Amino acid sequence: MRTSTSHPILAMTSASAALVLALSGCSAEGTEATPEPAADSSTHPVEHARGTTEVPNDPQSVVVLEPVELDTAVALGVTPVGAAVASNVAGIPEYLGVEGVEPVGTVPEPDLEAIAALEPDLILGTDSRHSKFYDQLESIAPTVFMETQADPWQENMLLIGEALNQQEESQQLVDGFNERCEEIRDEYDVDGKTANLIRPRDETTLSLYGPTSFAGGALECVGLSIPEQDWEDGLQADISPENVREAEADYVFVTTDDVADESTVPAAISENISQFPSLTLVDTSYWVSGVGPLGGEEVLDDIEEFLEAQQ
Amino acid sequence: MRTVLPKPETSIRARHQRLLPGLLILIALLLFSTLLSLAVGSNGLPLNVVFDALRGDGEAEAQYVVGDLRLPRTVTGLVVGAALGVAGALMQAFTRNPLADPGILGVNAGAAFAVACGVAFLGLQGVTSFVWLAFLGAFTVTVAVYLIGSSGRGAADPIRLTLAGVALGAVFSGMTTGLTLSNPDAFDHMRSWNAGSLLGRGYEVLLPMLPFIGLGIVLAFFVAPGLNALALGNDIARSQGANIAVIRIVVILAVTLLAGTSTALAGPISFIGLMVPHVARWIFGLDQRVILGVSILLAPIIVLLADVLGRVLIAPAEIPVGIVTAFIGAPVLILLARRRKASTLS
Repeated sequence: MRTSTSHPILAMTSASAALVLALSGCSAEGTEATPEPAADSSTHPVEHARGTTEVPNDPQSVVVLEPVELDTAVALGVTPVGAAVASNVAGIPEYLGVEGVEPVGTVPEPDLEAIAALEPDLILGTDSRHSKFYDQLESIAPTVFMETQADPWQENMLLIGEALNQQEESQQLVDGFNERCEEIRDEYDVDGKTANLIRPRDETTLSLYGPTSFAGGALECVGLSIPEQDWEDGLQADISPENVREAEADYVFVTTDDVADESTVPAAISENISQFPSLTLVDTSYWVSGVGPLGGEEVLDDIEEFLEAQQ
Repeated sequence: MRTVLPKPETSIRARHQRLLPGLLILIALLLFSTLLSLAVGSNGLPLNVVFDALRGDGEAEAQYVVGDLRLPRTVTGLVVGAALGVAGALMQAFTRNPLADPGILGVNAGAAFAVACGVAFLGLQGVTSFVWLAFLGAFTVTVAVYLIGSSGRGAADPIRLTLAGVALGAVFSGMTTGLTLSNPDAFDHMRSWNAGSLLGRGYEVLLPMLPFIGLGIVLAFFVAPGLNALALGNDIARSQGANIAVIRIVVILAVTLLAGTSTALAGPISFIGLMVPHVARWIFGLDQRVILGVSILLAPIIVLLADVLGRVLIAPAEIPVGIVTAFIGAPVLILLARRRKASTLS
């Protein structure tokens, strides 16, 4: 490239950079009247899927690209400035009860410009989904990647806790979840009872969730057992409506966007309703997408309420 | 303009001699694939259980699998296959392009866009609520393609229609992609429709579509002699008394009815409309009446066999039929292109 052609661009860039500096200078002066406690500028190393990264001990603006990272961060008292969402229409999940989180694209396709515009000081993502963005994200802010969303969610939670410098707190959240499971197991008669969680995908596919999945794990955690299937990584098994009887269990939960609307039960199940004596609609937004301690509490609430009604 | 050389007498006679046994074989194959589609699925029911269920006896599970799932999807496969085969034959004869398929007029793109809008803005879920919307979208876009292709001087000629169809199709596909990318939930709900599937289309959506498909097939056979004349070039066709403007309008109407309805019912099932008329021409020659008749039998056979394959390949789950036809269709297309004497149109 000839340098002469790039000069005007360089000049413009530096001019706009100067402008940005001047503006940020202004805003800094503006907030000087009410000084916030100075941010801790020290860092700690975090070992993660893409190596070891120095991340701030007290991150002020965090961007998260994965539901479990959003849920865990909120649970740890760190409300991210931006989060990749499952759907641009639905936005930030309601069950989290937070406001002011900027949606930055979708989980599979995060919007790098929107992320850069938020000027984060820490980015959390997932190597299995966002691998190709790592270098660009790293140039925006220190970036920590968990390996894959298919790993047990509580292990991912601990990594997120480490990245947010709240290792103990995240361990407490994990322990709290497991303790609550045990309380439910002791309180209700779940011995020998089987349960299935079904997510209707489309006309040809029903997905059954396995013991290592998030909500499937919650069902097993309270002492229910999920009948054996040909699981993919223990997470999920797809069946055709022809094989709907493989989804039979003592308690069957079906995910839906609207738990009050019984027409959302897939035809394969409603047409064989005599095979499904105990059928409960549950909310997809946290049973499937609410991976994390807050979504986990919601799922346990639902399970407890259901078991209470069985007494 | 290509010079039309008379075919050697023997070749034509040979092809005529093939016609009757050929049709009988096709009918037998159609019966066989229909039975296969009722008997084979991702649930490995034994044959005697299937036949009991067809008679209305036997256990509830078999009655559900055979009566409520396999029977309607087989009927859907027969109807959709016949419509796609005829629509493809019409398109190839009309555009005189051996690579034309029903989607070239923007039918699929229009239907998909309408479905995407319905999912994203009206919150529609489930195939039965898509059908009329998809039909409306397919029809609207084809009319738009026709208006754009026929504006300016003269009547709508196939090349301008094709260009308008491809252009509008690209625009609508782009908008559909935009909608679904910004809303993966909508994408999820659209996925099965988009892949092309015969499952879950009950009689309540299938039956109202039958008159449209019936009308489309009648129109196709009505216009077939005219298409034979058109194959000789516009001037000769005119001198033989064919009304080219009428032929064009009837063809477009028939293709819209057939492709629009089948796409609305089953989603975009690729390659059937492209592949089947080729095979028909290859074996039985260039008479449009014969090509239409063969396509109407051959296309449902391939759709049903592809659907059965999709049910057993990854049992206990299924692969939608549209994905299977794409997998079968691509190598068949390469084979056709590599044949020394491609099944040309004249």
